[in-house]
Amino acid sequence: MTKRSITFYLNGRPVEAYVSPKDTLVDLLRNLDHFGARESCGQGLCGCCTVLVNGTSVSGCLELAELIEGKNLDTIEGLDAGGELSVVQQAFIDAGAFQCGFCTSGFILMVEQLLDENDSPTPDEARDYLSGNLCRCAAYPEILDAVQLAADKRKSLQKEPA
Amino acid sequence: MTTTEVGRSLPRLEARQKVTGHGNYTHNIKLPGMVHAKVFRSTVPHGRILSIDTSDAIALPGVTAVITGQDILKIIPEPYYGPAFHDQPILALDKVRYVGEPVAVVLAEDPRVAAEAAELIFADYEELPAVYDETEAMTSKAIVHDELKPAGTFPDLKHLIGRKDTNIALDFHLKRGDADAAFASAEHVYEHSFQTQQTMHTPFEPLISLAEPGDGRVTIYSASQSPSFARSEVARLLGWPENRVQVKVGHLGGGFGAKLYIKLEALVAALALLVRRPVRLSLSMEEQFYTITKHASTFHIKSAVDKDGRITARKCEVIWNGGAYADIGPRVTQKSGFTATGPYDIESADIDSYALYTNRPPAGALRGFGIPQLVWAYESHTDLIARDLGIDPVEFRRRNILRDGRPHVTGTIMKDAAIDAVLETLAKRMDWDAPFDHGSGTLKRGRGIAIGFKACVSPTTSVASVSVSADGSATLYLSTVDMGQGSDTAMSQIVAEVLAIRTEDVRVINPDTDITPYDMATLGSRSTFHMGNAVRKAAEHAREQLLEMAEKVGLPKKNTLNVPEIFRHAYGMQAGTVIGVGTYIPTYASPDKDGLSDNVTPFWMIGGTGVEVEVDTETGQIKLLKMVNAADMGNPLNPRIVETQLSGAAIMQLGFTVSEEMILDGGQVTNASLADYKIPGIRDIPPHIENHIVEAYTHDGPFGAKGVGESATFGVSPAVAEAIHDACGVRLTKLPMTAEVLYKALHGEQE
Amino acid sequence: MTYEILKPETLQDAFGLLDTDDPMVRPFSGGTALMLMMKSGIFSPSRLVVLRDIPGLNGIRLEEDGSLWIGALTTLAELEKSDLVAQHAPVVTHALRHLSNRRVRNVARIGGALAHGDPHMDLPPLLSALNAEVIVEGSNQGRRISVQDLVTGYYETSLESNELIVAVRIPSQQSWQSAYRKFTARSADDWPALGVAVSLNASRNEIQDLRLVVGAATERPTRLEQSEGILRQEGRSGLERATEAAMASVEFMDDAHGSSQWKKALLRVELRRAVQEILDRNT
Repeated sequence: MTKRSITFYLNGRPVEAYVSPKDTLVDLLRNLDHFGARESCGQGLCGCCTVLVNGTSVSGCLELAELIEGKNLDTIEGLDAGGELSVVQQAFIDAGAFQCGFCTSGFILMVEQLLDENDSPTPDEARDYLSGNLCRCAAYPEILDAVQLAADKRKSLQKEPA
Repeated sequence: MTTTEVGRSLPRLEARQKVTGHGNYTHNIKLPGMVHAKVFRSTVPHGRILSIDTSDAIALPGVTAVITGQDILKIIPEPYYGPAFHDQPILALDKVRYVGEPVAVVLAEDPRVAAEAAELIFADYEELPAVYDETEAMTSKAIVHDELKPAGTFPDLKHLIGRKDTNIALDFHLKRGDADAAFASAEHVYEHSFQTQQTMHTPFEPLISLAEPGDGRVTIYSASQSPSFARSEVARLLGWPENRVQVKVGHLGGGFGAKLYIKLEALVAALALLVRRPVRLSLSMEEQFYTITKHASTFHIKSAVDKDGRITARKCEVIWNGGAYADIGPRVTQKSGFTATGPYDIESADIDSYALYTNRPPAGALRGFGIPQLVWAYESHTDLIARDLGIDPVEFRRRNILRDGRPHVTGTIMKDAAIDAVLETLAKRMDWDAPFDHGSGTLKRGRGIAIGFKACVSPTTSVASVSVSADGSATLYLSTVDMGQGSDTAMSQIVAEVLAIRTEDVRVINPDTDITPYDMATLGSRSTFHMGNAVRKAAEHAREQLLEMAEKVGLPKKNTLNVPEIFRHAYGMQAGTVIGVGTYIPTYASPDKDGLSDNVTPFWMIGGTGVEVEVDTETGQIKLLKMVNAADMGNPLNPRIVETQLSGAAIMQLGFTVSEEMILDGGQVTNASLADYKIPGIRDIPPHIENHIVEAYTHDGPFGAKGVGESATFGVSPAVAEAIHDACGVRLTKLPMTAEVLYKALHGEQE
Repeated sequence: MTYEILKPETLQDAFGLLDTDDPMVRPFSGGTALMLMMKSGIFSPSRLVVLRDIPGLNGIRLEEDGSLWIGALTTLAELEKSDLVAQHAPVVTHALRHLSNRRVRNVARIGGALAHGDPHMDLPPLLSALNAEVIVEGSNQGRRISVQDLVTGYYETSLESNELIVAVRIPSQQSWQSAYRKFTARSADDWPALGVAVSLNASRNEIQDLRLVVGAATERPTRLEQSEGILRQEGRSGLERATEAAMASVEFMDDAHGSSQWKKALLRVELRRAVQEILDRNT
């Protein structure tokens, strides 16, 4: 299959990769040994493949790799830059918001986006925002707890003087 | 007993890995030179294979090999596998028995080429009559297997060898007292039938196995709940000693029973040995529906009740739809079958439980091992009796409940089973005695409570070893698989407690059959009890050795263990290793010819759920307003993880209750995707969920603990059915209870 | 079998690439629906013409006549977050919140969503009730098609292969009020089993004019003209008769979401509730 060279930014770093027309972002990431975005349902319904393209969440299993050319691709692997967990990652641990962990990357990236858009989501707003992510272990109550924890923590960090 | 590590709600030890995208899933593995496998599947539900044309597929550029059942025979002359029956071929041989059955495999370096080539295979079949319904299969002329093939190793299955012209793989019978006499003299007799649908586990990490051929050996990397079984089963098939088959398991992206025994392991091992290259086979979400499912079932239940509202006798006939291959179905039929009369104190009982072959995708274990199907029926039946007698359903249960010290219908005396405490907890948390607002207009409200119980599959063995380093850290070797239930963490807490170290200083070695000792499997909520005991023994064994060392070097006797100090004194520096080993197998007595035994389970699991629902009578829409789960938990090792297990189990069962159903058309599953097979999402869960741990010390359990993974599934379905009945007066007897089903029950089938 | 991915930078270039007899050549904007069809093997393209980089097809603006112009490449998320839309067509903002999921809305474009002709969608019946139209350009002459006439059948539209939707125009809703109700049968995040869009011009709570459109349960969004006539004549007292007429006038689909018989009942309930929802706002 004909492969093309593309360049893009993966978690902030420029990357050159060879992609075939049928490759999705999940295929591309797998070839680059990034396994945090995972294909599960393959239909963009479960959210296990969630990644950010130019700062916006997309289903990596439904996005053609070639179209990432020149863009920013951010994944769960880039979230703990410098070795420090993000507020949301820590909140997921503190709330016990996962069991098997297969869907966790996707949920965490979606919650990051949610809180960027809305710093005090109500439980209903959180449910609406996260309705495109599924968790077969059904850690939903704990995920909603994590949203609350992370929102509170982010606000308290903002209040602290620099 | 006061404990410091046991009972601590610390986060999962692998939490950081999981939130940073570095979970150690089999899915991540790439082996040098590996080829990808794609399965070509049967398109007919039942047929004789006349020919398989692989020429176009093999001609496609990039294809390494195309393998059929005939090729498998070259290295495995008897390629039939299964935990109870050796009835399932690695690839179909003479016959296919369901739509989706693996018939051939394409191998290619590019997985897309493998998939494309699989589309180019053509198989010709002589179609045979097929049977899908479990009741029809009892008497059908369509026979799925020409001859029964129980695994010869089980004495209780020996009588089935060679049986022909039947779809009944196994029939289990229990007879206690004189039920017929009780019915003849009963004040009231009630009889109902209930059905459940075929569903699927849908673990989000779809089934995946890889195999790497070695020099006279093979290494299998697999998302498996049972590495020890996989090793012995693949070794048996190859005719090799077990030590030449290595099975390695990482974190599992969910299991729920789908990844038990062997699924893809023998296939990838055979493929790798045939082409002498590493092979990776990763199923799609769709293909999982053709691999393993949960039993559909039909349950006929009949009770005799006296004038005081006491159940005096019960007859149960349960028919399990096992699909085309037995998998663990016969064990579900027996080991769950004997609890079919429910957690009630009943003098006389007859139970008949049948495992049926049909031309559906095979059914196995799914979170509850058949118990949710049984509880659905006996608790629905219980509510219907209470209604007819005009007795409050909680009060009716109180009158009949099976209490510690009383015999279960098998004859086993109940102990450490807090059935009454679970019921009372639910009643209290549901505020059962307070007046309830049943809604008005077209929005009606109702509530229900149901409880169930489960025996643990027995007797089974677990072995663990603990290696203690001179700095006081410990390494735990065990073949229990952490698929999200938190076993690595809970087991580490046991080690830490015994050795007086911190749980964070214990490292768990993921299952690797070359290194980690035998464990029967991670199933049926057995690990906490069985492996927990083995781990405790292993840690105690290490502790004894440490104490001996301390005594030898003349350290003063203390209550607390200072591990680094002992090693320093013994070896003059930070050096040495102490290895503790523990094995656990509980006592057990096989049921006699009447299905009776005085020791049928090492422990009982008790679970129940209360729900409040709102029904829109104009559309049939059912909305859960509240869900309260309670389970008898012994002494929880990690209360936080236990709670997430409770709500997780209950929500999963909620899916099986109101939405999930595999739809078949001519044997073909028509909704094998998450687009059309709808599991609960975050907007489907009740806004109010409570989980309650009913602490009841388990005397034989490690630190009083028992298993928990399934308990909260038990009561969900019948509680919802009763709540719907309470809301709008309609009783549904078949799962799932969808909006359309309820609408039709409310309004009739008028055109 | 593979395909070429082409990224034209002007509309004219796009038309050139699309103007072929090969039915396996497709325009690709968000691609969420096409990717599903490609992954499942239902559709194997020979060429994908990616429209995302074409300038001038983005953005939302208020025209002088009070109508909203929405560029075809506007994502559904942009639509959802738009203050202009919230102000001038709040029913759209509201419906988008539960349309598919957030990631799909981040990627799917309004033009593509309409051109796909999928019956299980929320926007076609809703935009139809708002009397919206699509502005179409092609190799030949441009034209305008009402959303009601755009979808002609099950996954069928009146677009030619060399035509593209460049914008959607929602006329001024001034004295009109709208509601959209949908029923999801199998889970909250499911595609709708039935969607009902209602637009009413009601002054002093008297119905002056209205548009009723049902979608998802039917092969294409279907205008309920008979019911509209009854309500126009009888006002709210004709609601019961109007819902009965709706049930009789529509051909429902049996599918995985439910039987046609049940959907008929759902239409009665949801249509009544949608009309009432608007009337109740004014009391």
